Amino acid sequence: MTVRTAERAPATPAAPEPEGLPLTAAQAGMWFAQALDPDSPAQNTAECIEIHGPVDPALFARALRRTADEAEALCVRLVETADGPRQLPLAFGPVPRAVTVAPLAPYAPAVAGTSAPGASDAFLGLPAGASSTRHDGELPFPLRVFDARDEADPDAAARAWMRADLDVPFDLAAGPLFAHALFRVADDRWLWYQRVHHAVMDGYGYSLLARRVAETFTALAAGEDPGPSPFGRLADLVADDAEYRGSDAYEKDRAHWSEAFADRPEAPSPAGRTALPSRTFLRRTAHLAPDATERLRAFATAARATWPDVLIAAQALCTARTTGAGEVVLGLPMMGRMGSVALRIPGMVMNVLPLRLTVGPDATLAELTRQVVLAIRAARRHQRFRYEDIRRDLGLLGEGRALVGPLVNVMPFDYALTFAGARSDAHNLSAGPVDDLTVNVYDRTDGRGLRIDYDGNPALYTEDELATHQGRFLDLLTRIADSDPHTPLAAFPLATAEERERILGEFNDTAVAVPPTTLIGPIESRAARTPGATALVLGEESLTYAELNARANRLARRLAALGVGPGSLAAVAVPRSVDLVVALLAVLKVGGAYLPLDPDYPADRLAYTLDDAAPVCVLTDAATRPALPPTELPVLVLDDPALRAELAEYAATDPGRALTPQHPAYVIYTSGSTGRPKGVVVPHSAIDNRLRWMQAEYRLAPDDRVLQKTPSGFDVSVWEFFWPLRVGATLVLAAPGGHQDPAYLARTIREQRITTAHFVPSMLQVFLTEPAAGAGTSLRRVFCSGEALPRETADQFHRVLPGVPLHNLYGPTEAAVDVTYHACAPGEEGPVPIGRPVWNTRLYILDAARGLCPPGVPGELHLAGAQLATGYLGRPDLTAERFTADPFGAPGELMYATGDLARWRADGSVEYLGRTDHQVKLRGLRIELGEIEAVLSADESVAAACVLVREDTPGDQRLVGYVTPASADAAAEAGTPDPAAALDAAALRDRLAAVLPDYMVPSALVVLDGFPLSANGKLDRGALPAPEIAATEGRAPRDHREETLARLFAEALALPRVGVDDSFFDLGGNSLLAARLVARVRDTLGAKLAIGALFQAPTPAALAERLHRAGDAEQALDVVLPLRVSGGQAPLFVVHPAGGISWCYSGLLAHLGPDQPVYGIQARGLTPATAVEPLPATMDEMAEDYLAHIREVRPHGPYRLLGWSVGGVIAHTVAVRLQDEGEEVELLALLDAYPSDQWRGRAGPKEADALGALLRMAGFEFDASGTLTREQVTRTLRTEGSALASLSDHTLTAVVDIVVNNATLMRRHDHRVFDGDVLFFTATAPRAEDWLTRDAWRPYVTGDLLNRDIDCLHPQMTQPGPIAEVAEAVAAYLGERG
Amino acid sequence: MALTIQQIRDDVADVLGEDPADIPDDENLVDYGLDSVRIMTLIERWRRDHGAEVTFADLAEAPGIERWWALLGEPA
Repeated sequence: MTVRTAERAPATPAAPEPEGLPLTAAQAGMWFAQALDPDSPAQNTAECIEIHGPVDPALFARALRRTADEAEALCVRLVETADGPRQLPLAFGPVPRAVTVAPLAPYAPAVAGTSAPGASDAFLGLPAGASSTRHDGELPFPLRVFDARDEADPDAAARAWMRADLDVPFDLAAGPLFAHALFRVADDRWLWYQRVHHAVMDGYGYSLLARRVAETFTALAAGEDPGPSPFGRLADLVADDAEYRGSDAYEKDRAHWSEAFADRPEAPSPAGRTALPSRTFLRRTAHLAPDATERLRAFATAARATWPDVLIAAQALCTARTTGAGEVVLGLPMMGRMGSVALRIPGMVMNVLPLRLTVGPDATLAELTRQVVLAIRAARRHQRFRYEDIRRDLGLLGEGRALVGPLVNVMPFDYALTFAGARSDAHNLSAGPVDDLTVNVYDRTDGRGLRIDYDGNPALYTEDELATHQGRFLDLLTRIADSDPHTPLAAFPLATAEERERILGEFNDTAVAVPPTTLIGPIESRAARTPGATALVLGEESLTYAELNARANRLARRLAALGVGPGSLAAVAVPRSVDLVVALLAVLKVGGAYLPLDPDYPADRLAYTLDDAAPVCVLTDAATRPALPPTELPVLVLDDPALRAELAEYAATDPGRALTPQHPAYVIYTSGSTGRPKGVVVPHSAIDNRLRWMQAEYRLAPDDRVLQKTPSGFDVSVWEFFWPLRVGATLVLAAPGGHQDPAYLARTIREQRITTAHFVPSMLQVFLTEPAAGAGTSLRRVFCSGEALPRETADQFHRVLPGVPLHNLYGPTEAAVDVTYHACAPGEEGPVPIGRPVWNTRLYILDAARGLCPPGVPGELHLAGAQLATGYLGRPDLTAERFTADPFGAPGELMYATGDLARWRADGSVEYLGRTDHQVKLRGLRIELGEIEAVLSADESVAAACVLVREDTPGDQRLVGYVTPASADAAAEAGTPDPAAALDAAALRDRLAAVLPDYMVPSALVVLDGFPLSANGKLDRGALPAPEIAATEGRAPRDHREETLARLFAEALALPRVGVDDSFFDLGGNSLLAARLVARVRDTLGAKLAIGALFQAPTPAALAERLHRAGDAEQALDVVLPLRVSGGQAPLFVVHPAGGISWCYSGLLAHLGPDQPVYGIQARGLTPATAVEPLPATMDEMAEDYLAHIREVRPHGPYRLLGWSVGGVIAHTVAVRLQDEGEEVELLALLDAYPSDQWRGRAGPKEADALGALLRMAGFEFDASGTLTREQVTRTLRTEGSALASLSDHTLTAVVDIVVNNATLMRRHDHRVFDGDVLFFTATAPRAEDWLTRDAWRPYVTGDLLNRDIDCLHPQMTQPGPIAEVAEAVAAYLGERG
Repeated sequence: MALTIQQIRDDVADVLGEDPADIPDDENLVDYGLDSVRIMTLIERWRRDHGAEVTFADLAEAPGIERWWALLGEPA
């Protein structure tokens, strides 16, 4: 028998030790959570029990009071001690015999011990002014009693009061950690409200408390004794916890979780992101209908499970569908008391365990439910191991990563309590903090069905989103309850029936009747109607419709003679030119489909394409011909005079053709994942639909001029070429190569009065930065497509080209250029949608099981309708894979899987979210990474390859290839011990460039000995290194803040040194250390900082940046350097030493106390912004300048001044001037500073001395024997991690000049008399300047020279030890005066 | 009609979705998937069918068939 408690000796009946008890691990978790944000009410839990019957409030008060006495765990406060947090017992005063029931008043927090204006605001048992009657150390019992019957809506008024109370955080150290209120809402109906801090109570604990209160009240009402306490002792709970943490079971549990989650799985969240916990949560309460609840129970029985198991399975399915993930990790709150003493102890015991579930498209409901049962069973065996500890062990803490997604909290505890015969209902008001989403489920057997609360973190969900998620879950539960357990999960899409109808019927309502025409037909009609209109312009050259048509017709007849006709292909390898347009038209005119070839592509690729597509002939020009691979096909060189002469013989009239709309119009090759490009065959009907829609939507007119700049190999060029020619507008060709030159484009748009142009977004971005871009006033519309259009680019467009409409289009080559459209309106926010479907086009966003994703839920975008391509040329397998039966369309219709991730917005437009597969888009070009990998792997020197797009610098996307060498032998053969060296990356790159287009050649190739693998043996892409190995030697701090933070990090972590880019958590930081560090940062820098900030900004540099952003925009080298702006005392101004920089004073902050603001005064000229020419000529001039700055911070006295070295002389001068102006100076502190008299006549410093001063400012000693150079100085500073190391050359030069100037000024200065005492600090270590004496100040000070010796050298005065002594003395001096 | 150990074993196996032969009398039922909902189900069933008065804590404290038999099997 392994049941644990049975063997245990009875609990020792000892009272809690005077010094209290340590916290259990469960309590500590909650304690830390509160410490992260001490003012947060998030750890409040609360419940309201509605009693249907009469209640005697005095009797009820006695029942509560008595139960509280019995529940030790409740009556504690939690204090932080040297040994960590401990819980100390609290004693309460008695409740009075008679209780006054006050009318309900607006919420006001009860303040113990104050004389509140009425009894209603004071705790029961502590009437106004009655504090003297309390026994020492006893707190008033926290119960308030109200009569709400006079309120218009008594229940609502009481609930409002409760909500207000829930927003009040408990003071853990002071206690009490619970509060009660009793409301009379009707003559015979009462609400009992209790709020308890989660560190001392959990949900099961509530049920124990409520039951005991009911029992006690019932007994007291009957005049009976409630009997002895049923509760166990807190000490036993603590001992049980300690025993577990020292046991083998603990180690076993730990190993279990570390192993089960070794691969640190993502925890998908419906929100799609994580956020810091908020102080509040949103709650939506709903009920599963009673009949559905009953059917759910029956379903559970049929599936040999319990209803909570089914409910968890449903939530897993819901989360998987919502996030598109195949695996989810739910959080399962556990009572954690099975077989434990804790069963009889109301306290905080519960734990949350991660439940990892696979939601495969082929599984059935029964299988998923079974998986839940087994997963919970496995988790239960290790249920005592804390959630917080699992996160810590997995290293998730430092990354701020979640271990679990939604929590499913099932509370089956029986709450059918009666109070002296009166029945009651329990209502949970807060179940504790909500990190993301918590689904609380209550089975309260009240005949209303299961109550299902959705609690959401408001940082992640709006009310509406929460309602939507909840609605879908209830809908799914209802559908499941109605199903056979062996139904496949695929039968349960997330979309509700109403959402399905909206998507299919409303969002996709695009049917428009179009005539059965072709791409070319309308162009010939137009040429006949407006023969004299200008059809084509290139530079100076222009052709009318008649001219263009005639040239195309002649060539067409030549092509027909070669055998080009409907269903056949003609390759066109011609740069942008009149001949290109003529060639394309000619191919179409005889019914052929054109195959564009980019002559810039490597010959191998062109050869492959020609071989794969097998065109009838190749059309090219003389310049391009040599770049083409050798071919046996007929080649027509369009600018060959012989051909031109031949063509002149052909008739110029339109040729006949037996063309149908189903014949192909063009074939465009795109990147293919298997390493081979694939030809997409687009029929006339598809592109005709596309152009008809475009004309209906954008109304191109005969006076429009369309810029053609897209290379013919990309399908955007299709509408550029043909749309204008169908409607009588003018096609303006950009010069070859001109499409990449923003200045050329801007000029062309202006000079050619272009009205319509297309840009790939990244090119648009470049174009908009071109100064002449704004001159494009002729533009009537600009189209974007090819990649995601960033909102910033759209905004910038509206700024540069106000009034010009910008349209975002989307579509793959497989669906005739574009299938969605969105007009970008200025002022819109958020991602730019790709918009709605075009004519006769349907969009489906489908989950992995091909079920409809409702609005907001990401899935793979599928396309159906008129614009689909016929398929891939000669690739029926691939075509069948991507073009499948449309489950929502008429029989025989197909849909195309785009591989793009997208989601519906509520308004029926679509947002593009990225790729589902291995395909990427880089600067508008579609790239299958697999194709590059295939080419790399085929190389003899390469064993394995991986290619990805990295963005190591934000906004800088780069294609990076990783390879491992073919064999270890290769290294030996190459005669090198380094296998990586056996592979010449540069040579490999050259070989790649020979077979891949430029845009597919990785910008960096990294040779690795082996690929990093994840725990399950898969390539761990996240672990691949950035191409350039980052400098291993930490960068020097940039300013005093980084330096201070690095020091505080080191101190908190007990490390000798911490680099500015080192992560706190990587170096062993944990929550406790984090809490301490944040407190130290707060006190030292006076910056408001929650612990959460440290999780988001875990390095000194990141944290400094965060503080910088949070606070004033401070310049570290400005005249005024705000070291700490917060605090209630008069600020202390600390004046720079010789070098002009005041960063050295930051060591004062920690020891002056957080209430003392500190401002550094720094020399002018450290940055160009503050430079003055020339430098101050006298000390008085300098003091005058500083005084003005000081007055800006603090217009009037009293003033506090401090200065070290030259800074002391300046401080004295400033002090005297302040007194001249009638101001009070309450502190003048001089740190080893000596008056001018002492220096006069002595040699001033040279550059080397100045550099020495700089080192001293940074707190270093140095060997003064040699001559210092600037390089030596920077090197020293950098090695020692000083912030000064990052000073620019400008500043270093300025510092040297300032040192020299200060020395001169000081030697010339005549001191006047300061009226008052001076606090002096003498550096007592022996020094060369043995003639220096503080007594030299006597003539210039009327009061005392209060000296304090500091055992250090002059240059060491601002090092941590000495500066701490100075700060303490200053604080003490000010404290005595104050 | 008091509960027999066989009845307890059968009912426990039933709520756990296991075969009665697979549940040893002297093992911790938590390892076999016993949770609070299943305990509540058993309490409900035994109260209804056998008039057994036992609390949640009684059963949850010692989750094993033999221990429950000691609690439930003998007349109080």
